Amino acid sequence: MKKLCALLAVVALVAFAAPAFAANPFMDVPMNHWAYDAVGQLAARGIISGYPDGTFKGNQPITRYEMASVTARALAVIDMEKASKQDVEMLKRLVVEFKDELDALGVKVDKIDSRVAVLEENIGGWKFWGELRFDAKFEGEKNLYNDEYTLEGDKEFNLNRFRIWMSKQIDENTKFVARLGTSDSTTKYAPTRWERYYVETKLPYDIKMTAGLWLFDWEGDSGLYIDEDAMFGDYGMKGFWFQKSFGLGDVQAMIGHNDSYSNGADGIFNTADDVNSDYMFYGLRANFNFNEQFRFALNGLMRAYDDLNNRDESVYWADFTFNFNPNIAFKGAYFMEDLDTAYRAGEDSPKAYKAIFDVKQDAFKFTSIWLEYAKFDEGFNVWNANNNGDMYAYDAYGASVLINRNWDETSVLFASLKQQWNDKWATYERYLTADFDTTGVDDATNWTFGVLYYYTPAITFDLAYDKVDWGDSTAAGMRTGDDNIVRLRTHVKF
Amino acid sequence: MSIKRKLVFAVSLLCLMSVALSAYASTDSVLSRWRKTVKIMDEDNMGFVEFTVTYYSAEYIQALVQKEAKANLWTKDEEENYKYQLLKTLQLERNIPIFIEINNYSPALRMAPFGDQVELWINGKTYSPVDYDKRFNFKLTGKREGFVYFPRYDEETGQPLLTKAKTIKFSIDGGIGPITMGRSSIDFLWDVHRDNPDQFFTGKAAERLELDRLIIRLGNLKEQRDDIQKQLDELDAELARIQSRIDELQSK
Repeated sequence: MKKLCALLAVVALVAFAAPAFAANPFMDVPMNHWAYDAVGQLAARGIISGYPDGTFKGNQPITRYEMASVTARALAVIDMEKASKQDVEMLKRLVVEFKDELDALGVKVDKIDSRVAVLEENIGGWKFWGELRFDAKFEGEKNLYNDEYTLEGDKEFNLNRFRIWMSKQIDENTKFVARLGTSDSTTKYAPTRWERYYVETKLPYDIKMTAGLWLFDWEGDSGLYIDEDAMFGDYGMKGFWFQKSFGLGDVQAMIGHNDSYSNGADGIFNTADDVNSDYMFYGLRANFNFNEQFRFALNGLMRAYDDLNNRDESVYWADFTFNFNPNIAFKGAYFMEDLDTAYRAGEDSPKAYKAIFDVKQDAFKFTSIWLEYAKFDEGFNVWNANNNGDMYAYDAYGASVLINRNWDETSVLFASLKQQWNDKWATYERYLTADFDTTGVDDATNWTFGVLYYYTPAITFDLAYDKVDWGDSTAAGMRTGDDNIVRLRTHVKF
Repeated sequence: MSIKRKLVFAVSLLCLMSVALSAYASTDSVLSRWRKTVKIMDEDNMGFVEFTVTYYSAEYIQALVQKEAKANLWTKDEEENYKYQLLKTLQLERNIPIFIEINNYSPALRMAPFGDQVELWINGKTYSPVDYDKRFNFKLTGKREGFVYFPRYDEETGQPLLTKAKTIKFSIDGGIGPITMGRSSIDFLWDVHRDNPDQFFTGKAAERLELDRLIIRLGNLKEQRDDIQKQLDELDAELARIQSRIDELQSK
């Protein structure tokens, strides 16, 4: 079978350059065989040769050496100028697959690579990516708390995400990137939008400038969260972003503007406050690696509202990473806010901190561990509220553990474990408990267990069970009881 | 948070720290110290791309050779032979080799030309690769691995770049795929001042490498000498012709 497929691949590669009909030189290939012409064409181009006795032995399996030899001969005769994009892609796959054998045969892969690079440049130099996430969800209770798991009912089959990325190198220093997509699972036919569009270019003094709508995520740069639990980053920002690296350190500055459009319906900025929420956005970050073990960063962000006085808000934080060894790290961050008006409740200068142990699977061999403890002052206000203005997301499966609880101090303990058993299978577990200092409010907990099956590196299935429990003796107006969901997610990437 | 819960958290941290420190002191830490991994997960913790990057320090090579020798029950000669072949592959005499393993379960990485996506920072200066495995130029899903080589000596002065370096940084551009876009870069750091290359380049393998280098140098010098000799012979012949013509003219 392998021989057949490989042969067809090579046929496709050279078909454009071969004569339409060619006499078949092998005595054992019958004239009425479906591959008769293809074998004849390949023999005519010198790409395949038979056995000394004049036979082709088409039913015998092919060895890797023989396949490498066929690929090498195809490389020798192929005319790249006339090749199509599909031919080139197929040729690249063959070259990658048989690289070692080709090397042994003395065929230099870099030569074909440079020819392919030229051809790709001629085609247009565009690069494309894509991904699709499709969910089948089954919720424990129907319409509990206004569809807590974001379902329209107690079950739902729905598109979760669709994205197409594109990129083009404009010149040596400038690149264009855009993303078309949708991620609104609550709408039956969610609109497709340009979710990213920006250019990256190099200014004098090796300063990199990004202009357009780009991803802002300094917490991600510092490795301070997993899932979608960023507090002040991980969303699109329109404006200008400047980066200058000094080797072990770098400084970044950005200036942007948030246009809320109508009631936050653009879906891009994820702001909780939808009215009059146009604001200028300023940021400054300095990050320095002292050595391979210790890193430290200072960050500052400010929102200056266009129309509302006394509502400007700023956050400053310091974060660090200490690597005990390449597999075990301790991370921490301390946040200080300055709110002109405490428009939610409580303090106008609340603080928060988090401490994280990040252990890779290589350390203990059987599991990776993310152990996080976070503490928030009363009124602490995060800017990336993924779920209906939740104070702090922790809502990877839809239900917010912390929803409408942020009146007093809150502490969170979050553990996430993942076991990568082999290339195909992985399992994971999450546990979160939140302790609210408010009198009469129970602790809330969240459990998750999941199994991942990597059908191929590009296609993944995820079966997960998630349960949230807000407790039973909570004050009126706050959520009580529990709910759960079973979710089967299909994720395709290319 | 209750006192009990805080206590459990604190004990967990202490356990992890003690395990971390004991793991760091083990023999394998020599190998793992120079082999760094960055795993970037997508938002739903399903897709990921994992970069494992190895800096071939003298300490690492020594540990690798010993490990292989122990595993294969090699004699001293076999060990030296392996070491010689390894050093030759690494091109250590002129390059800084870095080995990259990529395991990609996210949208495909498109890194062509790969040489433009990576850089090495030494003493505040950035260097581009002199060579790399060309397979990194092809669209990448799943696993692929290969070397990238950076210059070991300054092009103009000929001085070793690592002489006064304390910590070096290898960076991969975040623009190689959607899962890494938006990041400043994917960085790997090594404290190279903790390495001692001089201690390693001894023994038969090092002598064979030096011999190889000297033989190449000898060949180059001989070639130069032959070129110069050829020019001398041509000049001698020209001189003889002129002298002959002068003699001929004077004799008239």
